[in-house]
Amino acid sequence: MSRAEKVYRHSLSTRLTHWLAALSLVILFMSGLQIFNAAPFLDASDKTDPARRVLEIGAVQNGARENGFVNILGLHVRTTGVLGYTDDGMGGQSERAFPGWITMPGYQSLADGRRWHLFFAWILVIAGLWYFVAGAISGKFRKLVISRADLSKLVPMQLYYLKLRKEPPPYGEYNPLQKMAYTVVIFVFAPLIVISGLALSPGVDAIAGPLTSVLGGRQFARLWHFVLTFSLLGFTVVHLTMVFTQGAYNNVRSMVTGWYRPGTHEVSA
Amino acid sequence: MKRRLFLAGTIAAASGLAGCARVTNALNESPFHQALTAVERLNHALIGTRGMAKVYADADVDREFRTNSFATPSNARYADLVREGFRDYKLVVDGEVDRPQALSIAELRAMKQLVQATRHDCVEGWSAIGKFGGVPLGDVLALAQPKAAARYVVFHCFDVSDSGDPYYESLDIVEAAHPQTILALDLNERPIDADHGAPVRLKVPTQLGYKSAKWVVRVELTRDLAGLYGGHGGYWEDNGYEWYAGI
Repeated sequence: MSRAEKVYRHSLSTRLTHWLAALSLVILFMSGLQIFNAAPFLDASDKTDPARRVLEIGAVQNGARENGFVNILGLHVRTTGVLGYTDDGMGGQSERAFPGWITMPGYQSLADGRRWHLFFAWILVIAGLWYFVAGAISGKFRKLVISRADLSKLVPMQLYYLKLRKEPPPYGEYNPLQKMAYTVVIFVFAPLIVISGLALSPGVDAIAGPLTSVLGGRQFARLWHFVLTFSLLGFTVVHLTMVFTQGAYNNVRSMVTGWYRPGTHEVSA
Repeated sequence: MKRRLFLAGTIAAASGLAGCARVTNALNESPFHQALTAVERLNHALIGTRGMAKVYADADVDREFRTNSFATPSNARYADLVREGFRDYKLVVDGEVDRPQALSIAELRAMKQLVQATRHDCVEGWSAIGKFGGVPLGDVLALAQPKAAARYVVFHCFDVSDSGDPYYESLDIVEAAHPQTILALDLNERPIDADHGAPVRLKVPTQLGYKSAKWVVRVELTRDLAGLYGGHGGYWEDNGYEWYAGI
């Protein structure tokens, strides 16, 4: 198979905002878990209401031991050492929901977690706005956003990935599954995670009350924020898997230099 | 052999994970932390104290309102006040004002009252709804007639931290006059009890719970916050939290 010439796939704006978003998402995730640790439960309601609790991470004393647990949708799982009673970020163990190795900072500090979170929230928002403006001007979204014609190609594309089909269905610069993933992440998840975060703030709630109400109230907004976080984490896992299995060098180069070599059997991430 | 490999793998993974916390802890203590605090001004300018906090129906109110603060003050002066039903309590309003005040509970109750059920949003993440009744702070400030130089309203409280630091809070003088900000005397239609901040607590429904100082004894108007305690305008602010607590 002949290898096609490289094409200039990602503009400078796309590349810069991609890496800014990647950096801020990592810090937002870690500092978000730090913030979660201060009230490690999620209620599907406006105010805190144990009767509408969806998730709780905690620890219970059992004789001399403390056992970490996760209660999720009524299911009780013992998670000592991983969640609930775990790494305190200072070389020991203590009662805390998410362990020190995955929070920002490592040790328990709500005040510092908030500082990191609120700073990188701005970096993400600025990168996002920049990306949307640049994409709207360049017309890139026409190639990236899923269209009606792509819908019938979703299953064949998935079969191709699963090696149940020899050839992918014909597509343009991005394949239909990619388009679906990017459309959902960029145009649905990203704005929603910002909105649900803002809805947690009493100052914002006073200005834009319907924002919080639409999400089901402040605690529900916290639940949405958390669910969206882990949805984005799921996307990131798939995204990185595709980057590294479908031509790691080609893919990473295209997001660093802009140049991508299409037309191989490798499917881009 | 397999067991040894497994053990080695576990130790390597554990030390790798411990390394993560070392890195994030070091970053947290790096000079970059200074840059993080800069966004507080931006958030304050953009969000500020605008609009009105949602007012709830009686059915939404938490009858057992959560307490999550320092221990109820136990010093002799406060204990005496509680025993005597706050008969000799005076709320002092002084500092940069033309007419300093010392208001008794009866005098505060004689003023126009505002009763509203609002949501109390804790910085930790939980929320509770309480029906707070009392005097709009703006009315008390108007009595005292702040001087033109006054920029902040500082609330001094009876409670102290375990290490002996007094609790205090502050608001911007313009934002302090927000119509929903009250010096609350009642919670859920009864005089506020000792655990919930008797006899007077601040309630600022447009900001996080730590602004709503309990056990207020003195309202001081100042030109700046630098000279007070840690200099950041509040007990939690001196401990790293944002002074602008609207977010």
